[in-house]
Amino acid sequence: MKITAKRAAVIYGLIALVLAGLTVFLVSLVRHGDSWAGSRFNRHIYSGGAIVNAGTIRDVNAVILAETKNGKRVFADGANTRRATLHVVGDTAGYISTGTHYLYRDALSGYSIAGGVYKLKRSGTGTDITLNIDSAACRVAYEALGDYNGAVAVYNYKTGQLLCSVSKPTFDPQNRPKDLLTNEKYEGVFLDKVLSGIYTPGSLMKIVTAACAIENMPDIYSRTFECDGEYETGDGTVICNGVHGKVSFQEAMNESCNCAFAQISIELGASKLLATAESLGFNKQLTAKEIRLAKSRFSPSKTSKSELGWAGIGQSTTYLNPAHMLAIIGAVANGGVGYAPDRIRAAGAISEMVGRVPEPLVKMNPSTAAQLQKLLRSNVADQYGESKFPGLEMCGKTGTAQIDGETSHSWFAGYSQRDDLPLAVVVIAEHAGSGMRTASAVANTVMQYFAGN
Amino acid sequence: MAETPARRQPRFQQITVMLLMTAFQLVCAACVLCRQETLQLSMVYLLVGYIAAEWIYLLIGNLVTGNDYFELEAIAFFLSGLGLTLCASFSEAFAFKQLVAIGLGLAVYLLILLLIKNMYVVRWLRYPAAIGSIGVLALNLLLAQVHNGALNWIDLGPVSIQPSELVKVVFIFVGAVTLEKLLSTKALWLYIGYALVCVSCLFLMRDFGTALIFFFTFILIAFMRSGNVRTLFLICAVALMGAMLVIYFKPYVANRFAAFRHVWEYADTLGYQQTRVLTYSASGGLCGLGLGEGYLRDVYAVTTDLIFGLINEELGIFMGVAVVLSFVGIAFFAVKTAKSAGSTFYAIAAVAAAGMLLFQMSLNVFGVTDLLPLTGVTLPFVSRGGSSMICSWGLLAYIRAAGAPFVPPRPDIAVNKRLRRPAKGGGAT
Repeated sequence: MKITAKRAAVIYGLIALVLAGLTVFLVSLVRHGDSWAGSRFNRHIYSGGAIVNAGTIRDVNAVILAETKNGKRVFADGANTRRATLHVVGDTAGYISTGTHYLYRDALSGYSIAGGVYKLKRSGTGTDITLNIDSAACRVAYEALGDYNGAVAVYNYKTGQLLCSVSKPTFDPQNRPKDLLTNEKYEGVFLDKVLSGIYTPGSLMKIVTAACAIENMPDIYSRTFECDGEYETGDGTVICNGVHGKVSFQEAMNESCNCAFAQISIELGASKLLATAESLGFNKQLTAKEIRLAKSRFSPSKTSKSELGWAGIGQSTTYLNPAHMLAIIGAVANGGVGYAPDRIRAAGAISEMVGRVPEPLVKMNPSTAAQLQKLLRSNVADQYGESKFPGLEMCGKTGTAQIDGETSHSWFAGYSQRDDLPLAVVVIAEHAGSGMRTASAVANTVMQYFAGN
Repeated sequence: MAETPARRQPRFQQITVMLLMTAFQLVCAACVLCRQETLQLSMVYLLVGYIAAEWIYLLIGNLVTGNDYFELEAIAFFLSGLGLTLCASFSEAFAFKQLVAIGLGLAVYLLILLLIKNMYVVRWLRYPAAIGSIGVLALNLLLAQVHNGALNWIDLGPVSIQPSELVKVVFIFVGAVTLEKLLSTKALWLYIGYALVCVSCLFLMRDFGTALIFFFTFILIAFMRSGNVRTLFLICAVALMGAMLVIYFKPYVANRFAAFRHVWEYADTLGYQQTRVLTYSASGGLCGLGLGEGYLRDVYAVTTDLIFGLINEELGIFMGVAVVLSFVGIAFFAVKTAKSAGSTFYAIAAVAAAGMLLFQMSLNVFGVTDLLPLTGVTLPFVSRGGSSMICSWGLLAYIRAAGAPFVPPRPDIAVNKRLRRPAKGGGAT
């Protein structure tokens, strides 16, 4: 009998297992409860696969971009505003996976571990989200892009606040086109090209190559390069956009001389170029706050000189993500620290008070940044002309990314030096030809909006 | 502080527990009644009647037995009441059936207590019980109704019964009594044979979860009697191989395992129930969204297999944890009573019953939350269903029987401390 009594203790083992199981359940509830509650079949939040009950999304000027009214989700006033802010706000079904609706669905649902979705249940709305985005600026950028597809992003390089982010093609979520999934012109419409797009950078890459040269070639400012329209590497030819004759480093940057930069790239060598590019975030999975960016890629050839030359001027197998470019140009502007573009101002009352901490995304040597600032300022002052950016004290670089058999992509990346306008801008207009023509014009239009003109 | 003379454990503690539980159940009843479009008196009678029944049971029990200690029944009443409330929040028909089930359960509970009081009756009953239970299972196989892919229901017109639930109670009885007296090889083989027939019948009925519960209980009883871990390992190994063969040959069993720990990848197929339980459990928060405010209630089998999720969503995680801890409480009680039990039969039966309840609860709760494969068993006392309720109360009788008459722990700790080594337990051996 006594033995039996002792063996009864086996139940304690079982109890311990049950308590362990309960603990595991509770721990995973704390850890994953937000994503469980945010799942698409949660009918407290979704109906027919689309968000119905959620907090209001406002822009930086308290303009409502999305809210729940009488159990229905409605978007901003004005079709173009809705189109311009679509990718930032996101659709209710979560097709745009980087949209605020999908990415911050747990916050929008008002979910908390303690209260579940009780708040949503009681009031019909969850936690409100305020964005750093200025929807009027987005509309301006959207309209400035005209018929071109592409992306525009503007952010404050001192704080990381993303003020404008537009991706095209887009659509009006309030009146979803019937041919959205079938019409060719909507291809890639669910992709936010600012965050998830990658493009051949063209001459924008010269900023990276120049950074590498500044750090690795002590005599770079006393050097001159010969350009007769093309540069023979021995195993191929790099073709230039013109015949520039004898150019200094700064002139090469101003003229965006391919011959000079191909020579510099080859002289630096693949490993040094790669080291600089990777230190600036290439070939890395970057995360801007809660958002994963598409990976920028750089793989300079170690065997072919001509391929290496092409890579150094942003062709070959080089790809660039616009948001990443924004952080690079932000690092230049901000003296070495490029903050991650952050779309969210506040989610809920507490974060409204506390604010969000800027998060460095790209870092470069401050002295390199200072040198690049001069080069980029000289580009506008000496080459493009101040008249392209009246009153903005712009620094920047255009890019014309050549694509086989199609019209080039038009790039511009730059920033204003004005203390009262600490903004950086990146524009990519797909198949819009020279960077000088389209992208810089779009950049100017948007920057003028922020300058109050 | 410790110098007060030793006295009986104060009675008011029981009363406090009962009062608190009554208050909780009244609030629950109010929630149910407030949600009705027009107040139905019948529902009021039903819910208040349940609370009254608890008090009547307590008072009569106190008068008849002079026993003050009703924690075991209190836990069972709490769990049953919770189930009744949830049933009532669906429909009066559900609530009425559930109340009848609780009544039947209580009757079976008392009947078993009465029967196993006398060891002669216990020994006399073992063969009829064993043969009867196998007969019922065989009958079940003949008349089986396919239900959820399992064939474990017999439809009797207005009510359908699940014989395997009733056999659970007999299974423990037979096991405990067969192995009670002596460890004769013959007795052991007889019981192994009996267990094998039961488990095989359940496999044929495709009731995989219940088969697992039977197997687990068998191991537990065998361990209680033999204490031979090596033999048990052997049994487990053979069973594991058998189970693997079953899984290999029976796709419907393998299916249940396919989604295990991957439920979100199968959210609309094999992981449907688990993902809904997790989603709505999280939605409920600590205190729940309120009775009737949940969406899990629209999911199939919510009042039976998924009831844990419904509790989490509508009454809160706190309540879900309370339910699990209630079973832990029952188990603790069982170990305590087993140690002071008057005979090996009571000790084995109490431990086996507690183990079975705990195991079935784990299969249910951790099955729907994807910590164990989903096997589709009910949550004892709480899930809707008569057979399950009767089984739960029947099992409870074994735990109570071992402890009756219950010897309260010595309240005077100071005396024990001074003695350093008090006489242990004081229970009969």
